[in-house]
Amino acid sequence: MTQSKSSLTWRKITESKLFFPFLALGLILLFDLIFVPGFFALTTKGGHLYGNLIDILRNGSCIMLLGIGMTLVIATGGVDLSVGAVMAIAASVAAIMMNPVIIGVKLPPNLMKFINDPNFTYAPLWEVVLVTLIVATICGLWNGLLVAYGRIQAMVATLILMIAGRGIAQLITNGVRIQIFYEPYAFIGNGWLILPFSLYIVAFVFAIAWILTRKTAIGMFIESVGINFRSSFFSGIDEKKIKLIAYAFCGFCAGVAGLVASSNIKTSDSNNIGLYFELDAILAVVIGGTLMAGGRFSLLASIVGALVIQATTTSMYAIGVPANAVIAIKGLVVVFVILLYSEQVRGFVRRITAQKGT
Amino acid sequence: MLQKIGALISNNRRFIPLSATVTLFFVAYAVGAVFYEGMRDPQVFLNLFRSYHYMLISAIGMTFVMLTGGIDLSVSGVVALTTVASAALLREGWNPWAVMLVMLVMGMALGAIMGAFITYLKVQPFIATLAGMWVARGLCFFISDDAIAINDRVYRLLGMTKILIPGLADPITKQGDYISILVVVMLVVLAVAIYIAHYTRFGRTVYAIGGNEQSARLMGLPVNRTKMLVYTLSGFCSALAGITYSIYVLSGHGLYAGGFELDVIASVVMGGTMLSGGAGYVFGTLFGVLVNGLIQTLIQFNGQLSSWWTKIVIGVLTLVFIGVQSLLAARKTRQLASKKMMSQAKEVVAPASKPRNRQILLLGGGAIIVIVLAVLAINGAQNVARGSVTNISTPTSAACQLKPFRQDQAASLMKAGAILAYERNGGSNCIDELYSVYPDGRIVGDDGTKKIEKQVTPADVGKLLSDINDKGWFTDEMYDTWHTPCGQCYGYYLTVSYKGQAKTVKAVDGGTDAPANYWQVVSTINGVIPHFP
Repeated sequence: MTQSKSSLTWRKITESKLFFPFLALGLILLFDLIFVPGFFALTTKGGHLYGNLIDILRNGSCIMLLGIGMTLVIATGGVDLSVGAVMAIAASVAAIMMNPVIIGVKLPPNLMKFINDPNFTYAPLWEVVLVTLIVATICGLWNGLLVAYGRIQAMVATLILMIAGRGIAQLITNGVRIQIFYEPYAFIGNGWLILPFSLYIVAFVFAIAWILTRKTAIGMFIESVGINFRSSFFSGIDEKKIKLIAYAFCGFCAGVAGLVASSNIKTSDSNNIGLYFELDAILAVVIGGTLMAGGRFSLLASIVGALVIQATTTSMYAIGVPANAVIAIKGLVVVFVILLYSEQVRGFVRRITAQKGT
Repeated sequence: MLQKIGALISNNRRFIPLSATVTLFFVAYAVGAVFYEGMRDPQVFLNLFRSYHYMLISAIGMTFVMLTGGIDLSVSGVVALTTVASAALLREGWNPWAVMLVMLVMGMALGAIMGAFITYLKVQPFIATLAGMWVARGLCFFISDDAIAINDRVYRLLGMTKILIPGLADPITKQGDYISILVVVMLVVLAVAIYIAHYTRFGRTVYAIGGNEQSARLMGLPVNRTKMLVYTLSGFCSALAGITYSIYVLSGHGLYAGGFELDVIASVVMGGTMLSGGAGYVFGTLFGVLVNGLIQTLIQFNGQLSSWWTKIVIGVLTLVFIGVQSLLAARKTRQLASKKMMSQAKEVVAPASKPRNRQILLLGGGAIIVIVLAVLAINGAQNVARGSVTNISTPTSAACQLKPFRQDQAASLMKAGAILAYERNGGSNCIDELYSVYPDGRIVGDDGTKKIEKQVTPADVGKLLSDINDKGWFTDEMYDTWHTPCGQCYGYYLTVSYKGQAKTVKAVDGGTDAPANYWQVVSTINGVIPHFP
């Protein structure tokens, strides 16, 4: 009796969506525990927490943000390749609003002398953030229009913005890498309130997404569209609108990530901000166990997936793998995760455990 | 007559995307030739092949993958890995032919592994090839962090041999228009690929899988084997592209071919291959790549447009081609549907065609919006460019105008025996300094009003030139970029002549668009030349 009961709970745990992401994260942290002495040390400086674990959370905040949006898009059965480019666009828009002089906008002379002052911004901060997020959401809407109403394959439709986006970002700043001097803006990515401020942003966006999908019917609609959009249509769900919402929200998340990334490096670098982040984000969702074909999703699992990616990177840096070569290790982790998730391998494992049981 | 043409078009509908690409290419080239005299030189046309041979070779493999409905993101990684690995092996003194063979086997092995993941473990092609790209690109940096130069004789011979075009070149003086051996390799690969795609059992199976994998399986076609072969073929093509690329630039580095997979995918899509698979032509891919190259050539010839317009134009073109394709697909299904409906119930046709109309309207509207936006953006950019000259300079420094480059003067200096002409323009005081370096070690600077001179040894000049050459000055990695410099920035116009080759590249600092090595070249030169007080 007791055995069957324990196996039942064991089964419940292993079949939970969160099990594999947490397992992967646990394995990586175990690796750190054994091979990297002092990896888990936390120190406080001036009331703020520092340490490798905090670094993972802080550096992973962009991937977590993108992962939240990407989860919803992938759950509808699509994919958004353009998030990295949208991040670059968002960074360019924000930078140009704070410091338009660099592209040749004429300011009154009394403002000109403040241009490198850390307390000067051309547009107020709330306006900068608002306009940037609106632009990013429009980018997401454009993807959503092409996918939902244009009936173009998601990968192709978002590929267009992925290619053109970085060009657009450079166009906005006229190819100049704009330095951002404004201090309050730097707080978005660099500030600390005991924990890094960007984590609170992640938590806020996560809360929005969670309430939207779990406290309203939208989450259910998204899953139903991802499982079968035709039957969702026939059961009265406006599947096009649902897709549009998902892509727009993904663009919004990419905009927030662009703000965080650009305030972190205090520059708008159209060529490098968010480079290859779309791949990281998709990977985070895949590690989180959401199927690329769409359907059931778990936001928390995607967040853990993002942490798995960031933890891998941070650990590799900690044991001294060269920065450029880390990508190979990341590739191997992907292969490992794929094997972990593939039905064939799972079936194989199940067969073995079943044999043991009998 | 009209009816006949209509019938001809509707019977050959599948050729529409292909012919659209071909027409676009020739029209764009003709427009370019009308506006820019330089483009009438046949060598410019041949250079499209000479500069983009590796892209076409890789795109051919990608075409097969995309015909089966898959995608291969690993091409850029495999190309980079091939250049680094072959450069490293050649440095160890391997036989060059053995190196090439090993590289091809390596590419095929990588492709086969990814193919196995996709075919047997049912992993999404996107994810599997993404992992492949990361592993391949990461491995490059385990081999070497820096660029490795290739000094092998065979590689040099393959890269530098000029094949003169009969009728356009003089065989006695060996002057005139030419292509390289790599172009011949590319054309052979293209011909073989066309044969494989359209005249073999394998090719037909590829199309069948793309059309409907389930039915192909039910028909008894070897789906698994073919999919494995397709990814192996793509790995082979990418490895071959990596070899020709390393011959072309005579070096290997892990950062080569960054973002290359996007260019390849866009070229294949522009060539009329559907991303969902089952439709398209290998021949179209040739023109997809040529259009891609032509856009960059046109932007270089224009000289006013900034380099990022390449990306935007390619994005817009991809959108247009996808629009055309989905329109055709929509029409095909509507035809099928209406034929079916006719035999059953007639009243169902109307509601079925209504959403199609809306879709056509939407796509057309979207395309128009994009084009209008692009035109507005071009105008806006030009206004900003103009504005930045007149407006920005007024507040920062009194009445300072960015001066145009003295291109004619630079050319005449080069004619007079200079081996390097270097002009730097802009800054907060809008300076305009033109330096010329002579083989005997004399360096002359001219800022428009006065001249300064400096004498260095001829050996210093030789070292400067070989440094510049080592940074890839005469390779494709060094290209023109231009935008109006910001208030504190400088524009550079640099002509270098070395061992019979001469090349001019201009760029602006403070930007993100110029080639990375350009700044190293400029800073090397700045360390040698005299400076105005």
